[in-house]
Amino acid sequence: MPACLFSRQQRAMLLSPDPELAALFRSLWDPTEVEWTVMAEGRRAMEAIFNEPPDLLVVDNRLADIPSAEVAAIVKSENVYRQLPVILCLDAVDLERDWDWSEIEADDFLARPFSAREARERVQLTLCRASRGMDANPLTKLPGNTSIIGRIQDLIDRQDDFALAYCDLDYFKSFNDKYGFSRGDEVLMMTARVIVNTIRGFQGVKSFVGHVGGDDFVFIVPADVAEEACRRVVAAFDDIVPHFYDEDDREKGCIVSTDRQGEVRTFPLMALSIAVVFNTGGRLKHYGEASAIAMGLKKKAKENPKSSYVLDRRSE
Amino acid sequence: MEEDLKTSAKGQILSIRDLPTLPKVLDEVTRLVQDPNTSIEAIAKVISRDQVLSAKVLKMVNSPVYGFPGRIGSVQHALVLLGFNVIRGVIISTSVFDIMSSTMEGLWEHSVGCALATGLVARQAGLKDPEEYSVCGLLHDLGKVVAAVQLPELHRAVGEAVRERDLRWFEAEKAVLGFGHDRINAWLAQHWRLPPTLKEAMSAHHFPERAQLYPQHAAAVHLGDFIVRVFEYGNGGDDQAAPLAPQALKALKLTLADLDAVLDGFAENLSEVSGVNFAPEVPEKST
Repeated sequence: MPACLFSRQQRAMLLSPDPELAALFRSLWDPTEVEWTVMAEGRRAMEAIFNEPPDLLVVDNRLADIPSAEVAAIVKSENVYRQLPVILCLDAVDLERDWDWSEIEADDFLARPFSAREARERVQLTLCRASRGMDANPLTKLPGNTSIIGRIQDLIDRQDDFALAYCDLDYFKSFNDKYGFSRGDEVLMMTARVIVNTIRGFQGVKSFVGHVGGDDFVFIVPADVAEEACRRVVAAFDDIVPHFYDEDDREKGCIVSTDRQGEVRTFPLMALSIAVVFNTGGRLKHYGEASAIAMGLKKKAKENPKSSYVLDRRSE
Repeated sequence: MEEDLKTSAKGQILSIRDLPTLPKVLDEVTRLVQDPNTSIEAIAKVISRDQVLSAKVLKMVNSPVYGFPGRIGSVQHALVLLGFNVIRGVIISTSVFDIMSSTMEGLWEHSVGCALATGLVARQAGLKDPEEYSVCGLLHDLGKVVAAVQLPELHRAVGEAVRERDLRWFEAEKAVLGFGHDRINAWLAQHWRLPPTLKEAMSAHHFPERAQLYPQHAAAVHLGDFIVRVFEYGNGGDDQAAPLAPQALKALKLTLADLDAVLDGFAENLSEVSGVNFAPEVPEKST
């Protein structure tokens, strides 16, 4: 197995009355890579799963007390456990009947007899797939908070130099209020593309783009290209965003609306504010420090109604 | 689902399929996208000179996959939003039809010239985003390209009607196909979810007074088409001067003197676009 497949030890749970199956799964990985908890009864396992959800759940259909599909259904019906990947272990005879996978919501299945090799690859694929899809933003499909925090902390731990940029949109709310959320989503999709393509435009550098949620995005680039990246993102955004307004607002260069107090208010076209935090010389110890510094900088960037970026140069 | 456009000739239909493009432009863009140091601007500059590649990237960026259908009318913006990987994919999957070099000879010059002229008209009229008007000019005869490639026999019949009956291309299309390239344009634009400004310019450039929503776009392309024909740069299929609709000048609040200024500007800038070599790859067959 490639050393970097899992960033940390994976906790897997097997529900099966079959000791051979348990022995097989345990033999496939070093316990420092994948640690298995095996329970022979399904019902009793539920509490453990809910209290401390594992990274992977394998359910044997030979459980005496509960069908494997029902275990999957119980786990998947709760939004907080939905992301937990579930693999069913079936016998050939189980596959003689139809399985309604739109109902069962399992992530994969293994059908006996299977080779040790197959079991291992299936489990690894399922774990990787789960970590890929886990916290992607449902709109832009960019990595979400868990991945973002993981990536930042990882870079900090390795004491890598990097620049972390927090981006958000000014006057996005007034746009949403006037045009509705689906037009707002169009702008978020556009913003995501602008950031992704601009950052990818820097060839041969390690970079990352994530979507915190709403109109908040982050990107990570090497410190030496950070300012140029901000410049390019802001220029492309400013160039394109007017086309997401109706013609009359684009002409006026603003939205005019009446607030709840009956006062007429004018909102400029949307702009992008970027705050950039640098980690040089192992200055940061925790991702929380990075976001705290960035929030302070963002206030400064926001003072300018036009698109702007602020670089934190304190460490230099 | 792919909807077809039925012509009045029995069994002859147009379908949304792969479109042809100019070999030299394709070669140039292919070279550019393979170079990691290429800027989007450089690629945009080359793609903006080919109506088919421009149509392809605009079609793609306006597809629902990207989440903002009908918003993007600029090639440059389209490239920024699509990114290198996607552009590369578009280029790789674009094939070259040899048929283009002989059948539509002159149409590229005509389209590129019209793009230039339309952009100049928009600037003269003080319109915002003149680049978007250039795209309208570039794509205004896309329907002719599609018809030429997909229905070569009918295309030849249109050409014969132009010569034998002394018709304008547009009129001959109506006689042979049952509709003109303006209709094909509207169908393509609708199917590809191009922005409404582009759609109207493409479908109403012969009759700018019929434009309902964006009369300025249709009028600017109408004038651009007129100007490029005055200069006899390229060939739209016939050698007749297009009539000038007075409403087009009115819609843009331009006078004849303004038009003169645009004509001068066009003459000055023509060398810039004609520097792109649009000569056919294959020597023209002797007739």
